[in-house]
Amino acid sequence: MPVEARIHFQEELSALELQALGGLDMVGDALERTLEAVLHHDIELASYVIADDDRIDGRYLEVRQGIMSLLARQAPVATDLRLIAALLDLIRSVERMGDQCVNMSKLVSLVGREPPVHPEIIARIERMGRQAISQVQQCKQAFARRDVELAEDLVRQDDEIDRCNREIFALALETGDDPDAREWGMTMMMMARHIERVGDNAVDIGEQTAFVVTGEFREFTDASHPEVIPPAVG
Amino acid sequence: MRQVTEPPESSSESSAGESAARARRPPAAEPADGRGVGPGTAPAVEGVKPRESHADAAAVFEVENLSVRYAGKLAVRDANFAIDERRITALIGASGCGKSTFIRSLNRMNDLIPSASVEGSVRYHGQDLYASEVDPVQVRKRIGMVFQKPNPFPKSIYDNIAFGPRVLGMKGDMDEMVERALRRGALWEEAKDRLKQNAFGMSGGQQQRLCIARALATDPDVILMDEPASALDPISTGRIEDLMFELKDRVSIVIVTHNMQQAARVSDMTAFFTVVVDDTGHRHGEVVEYNETEKVFTNPSDERTEAYVTGKVG
Repeated sequence: MPVEARIHFQEELSALELQALGGLDMVGDALERTLEAVLHHDIELASYVIADDDRIDGRYLEVRQGIMSLLARQAPVATDLRLIAALLDLIRSVERMGDQCVNMSKLVSLVGREPPVHPEIIARIERMGRQAISQVQQCKQAFARRDVELAEDLVRQDDEIDRCNREIFALALETGDDPDAREWGMTMMMMARHIERVGDNAVDIGEQTAFVVTGEFREFTDASHPEVIPPAVG
Repeated sequence: MRQVTEPPESSSESSAGESAARARRPPAAEPADGRGVGPGTAPAVEGVKPRESHADAAAVFEVENLSVRYAGKLAVRDANFAIDERRITALIGASGCGKSTFIRSLNRMNDLIPSASVEGSVRYHGQDLYASEVDPVQVRKRIGMVFQKPNPFPKSIYDNIAFGPRVLGMKGDMDEMVERALRRGALWEEAKDRLKQNAFGMSGGQQQRLCIARALATDPDVILMDEPASALDPISTGRIEDLMFELKDRVSIVIVTHNMQQAARVSDMTAFFTVVVDDTGHRHGEVVEYNETEKVFTNPSDERTEAYVTGKVG
C-alpha cells in the first residue's frame, strides 16, 4: 500500500497558497474602496487606500519569503514546483494590483474639490471598476480550484474592461473647451488605464492557473501577436 | 569466440538498431494535449526549449522486452527503452522496484547469480549482449560497474588500478595507465604520493573514487553506478557528481540512486521504476516512465511518477 509522505511539506505549501490567495482578497477590498473614493470623490478614503497598501506589500514579502524558504528546504519538484513558481508570479500580480489602487487613489485628490463630472464617463469607470473587482474574485476562484476553463473565461471578461477603456478615451476627446472638464477627462483616462492594468493582472493569474494544471505556459492573448487566436480548452 | 569489441562506428546493424530505438522513445517535451510551448504550436515562447534533445543522441543500449527472474520469480518485467550514449541516465524508484536488477543486466552481472534468468534482449551498440558467443569478461571490460559501498581490493592503490588491465592482459606502460585512470578518477593529486599504500587507508569518498578509477582503467565506454554516493558525505558526493560530469564526454553513465535530488542534479534522462503487485501477491518491478530528467522533475507524464518524485508516496 502506498504510504502518504511529506505531509508537513504539503501543509506548508497549502498554507502558503492560502496566504497568497488571501492577497487577492486584500486587493478586492482595496479596489472596492478605491472605486468608492473615485465615484464619490472621497479624498479621505483615497488616502486610507494609499496607506493601507503597506499591508499588501507586506503580504507580497511574506509570501515571497515563504517561497524562498520552501525552495531552499524542500527542493519541490513536478506539480509542487509548478505551484510554487505560479505563486511567485501570482503574488507579484497582487502587489502590482495594489499599486494600481494607490495610483488611482492619488488621482482622486488631483481633480479638485468639485470636478465637472461627465456622467457617461463616470458610469463607464464604475462599470470597469465593478468588472475588475469581479475578475479579481474570478481569478482567485479559478486558481484555487485549478479551473482552467474559468481562468480562460477571464479573457472574455477582460474584453468588457478594454471596451469601456476605449469608450472613455473617445468621450474624453469630446469633452469640449472647458479646461477643468478636459483635465478631469484626462484624469479619468488615466484612471481607466489603471483599472485596465488590474484586469490584465487578473488574466495573468488565469494564465498561471493553466500553467499549474497543464505544465505549459502560454499567454491567453498576446498583445504583440494579436492575430494568434489562443487554442480553446480541449 | 566472438567478443564484445570496440563500438562499431558505422555498421549497418547498429544504425538500424538506433533508428528502431528512436522510434520507441517518447516524443521530447511534446505536450500531451498538443497545446502550449512545443514544436509547431503557434504561441511558443521564444528561447524556451528542452536542454539537449535526446532524439539526437545515439543509443548505447537498446533494451527490448527485458524480464529478469530469480529462481523463477519475476524481478523486472518487460523493460523497454534505449539508453543514450555519452549521457547520464538515472534509474529511480522505491526499494524493490527492480532498478538494481535492471542495471546488473546491462553488463551481465546477473550471470553470477545461478538462479537468475533473463528474457528479452539487451543490445549494446547494436550487438546482442546475451548472445552465446559473447564473453562476459569482455562485456565487463567495456561496461564497468561501481557499487554502493566502496569495495577496493585489499591491495595497494596502484595494484587496485592495475588489477583489471593485468587480468585482461592489456599491453602498454602500466605506470602510465595507473596515472591516467587516477587522473580521470579525480584522485591523482591525493594518491600520487601514496601509490604503494593500502587502499583501505583512504577515506570512504576516496575509496569510491578509487573504485571509479579502477573501473576506468580498462577504458570502458559505459560505467554503471549502483547508488555510488549513498554511503558518502555531501562533499564526497559532490566530488563524485563532478566526476560524472567530467566523464560523460567519453563514457555513458547509468546510475541507480535513491536520492532524487541527485538524479535531478546529474542526469540527462530518468527512468522511473515502480513496484507492481500481481494477483498472487508477488511483487516485481516495471518501468513506468522514461523521459528527459527536466520533464520528469517539472511535469511528469505519469501520475505514479508525480507521486514518487514529489515524495507524496513513499
